[in-house]
Amino acid sequence: MGYLGDSLLTAFELILGFDRDVRMAVWTSLYTSSCSIVIAALIGVPTGLWLGLKRFRGRQLLIALLNTLMAMPTVVVGLLLFGLLSRQGPFGPLGLLFTPLAMIAGQSVLATPIVANLVLAAVTGADRRIINTALTLGASRLQAAIKLLSEVRFGVMAAVIAGFGRVIAEVGVAMMLGGNIRNSTRTMTTAIALETSKGEFAFGLALGVILLSVALVVNLFLNSLQQR
Amino acid sequence: MQPVITLNNIQVTQGENFKLSVETLALQPRRIYALTGPNGAGKSTLLRVMALLVTPQTGSIAFAGSERHDLARQRQRVTLVEQSPYLFNGSVTDNLSYVLKLRGIDSRERSMRIGATLAIVGLKGFEHRQAKQLSGGEIQRVALARALVLKPELLLLDEPTANIDSNSLQAYETLLGGLPGYGVTVVFSTHDPSQSRRLGEEVLRLENGHLINGFYVDSKHTALNQRSDGNGA
Repeated sequence: MGYLGDSLLTAFELILGFDRDVRMAVWTSLYTSSCSIVIAALIGVPTGLWLGLKRFRGRQLLIALLNTLMAMPTVVVGLLLFGLLSRQGPFGPLGLLFTPLAMIAGQSVLATPIVANLVLAAVTGADRRIINTALTLGASRLQAAIKLLSEVRFGVMAAVIAGFGRVIAEVGVAMMLGGNIRNSTRTMTTAIALETSKGEFAFGLALGVILLSVALVVNLFLNSLQQR
Repeated sequence: MQPVITLNNIQVTQGENFKLSVETLALQPRRIYALTGPNGAGKSTLLRVMALLVTPQTGSIAFAGSERHDLARQRQRVTLVEQSPYLFNGSVTDNLSYVLKLRGIDSRERSMRIGATLAIVGLKGFEHRQAKQLSGGEIQRVALARALVLKPELLLLDEPTANIDSNSLQAYETLLGGLPGYGVTVVFSTHDPSQSRRLGEEVLRLENGHLINGFYVDSKHTALNQRSDGNGA
């Protein structure tokens, strides 16, 4: 069957056989990415909404900053947080470096600007009458803002899913802050990088197939929501 | 009879631009007021001031029986329907239900009020229709129903018939004409002088941001006499 065919066969054997290392890498990826996207949504959605609705001095600067953070290389985020969490850093005594918590913190930093920016785009692109209509019907400013979010909910969901896509597929933060420790901080992406470099191409391929499947399921879910 | 709303010495400016000046205006309950004037005369601004959405630089707005500083309570007594109303995603019922939920009204009362209000505006059977799939005339009527379901004392309509076709116009005007019977005071803005005389029991005219003499209108829909008191009713 050749090298690629044999590797693919072995990859499916690993997946269908619920190989422990594969299972642990998938679990760590899903766990850290889910936690970080929840944190990113909790910060990013209100930030995007606030930036979309308020007009104040320095707003454009903040938007430019968000855009810059969106394009920030994952290793740079990893590097900065490494400095903060390493033993000599200000948060060193907490002992977070090379734990899933450090990865969650780093991935939250990565995903928050994406969520905030895409929510901002959804809010600024929304019908201008939404807020006024809610206010004329007796809603408070906060209730009107929540109604606006509900009207652009697919944009908000797309923002959250895009953030999730970013963190589940990244390597830099997971590698630098997690340390790629087996059964602890090894994610699908760091495992793919490590195992492939060790010559375990089939193992890397198995995780690659799973990673692609996760991306597919997430996108199918988003599409089904948009069609409702 | 105590006026529903009384405006005194209202001045509205936006930046350097003068928008509106009303010395005094008092609207009597269960009447229909037509608000006329050319584009830019300040009709929408006056409606938004009365809806408590624009805060005037000077002057006072008082609702009968409400404390002046109780803005939340005052807001519950007035509803504005914009010229191009926005209907929220979801069904007609969802739109009406949302505003009732804002007031903390329970589901049984909500369902009763929604049924009754849709019957008033002639949309019985539209409960589960998607709001985004309605025609212009139907949108106007749902927006009206969404305002009426709150049982406002004062209903403000910003050019309500500007975007509806002639077939729906008559039905809409008949509907508006009947609203005082439900205890509502209506103020609607219009560019159409014949409509203002057809529907308005009193015509208020704005020019360059100033409320000038109004006209009482008799049952035959002709201008009867010019108001002698300038701004006040």
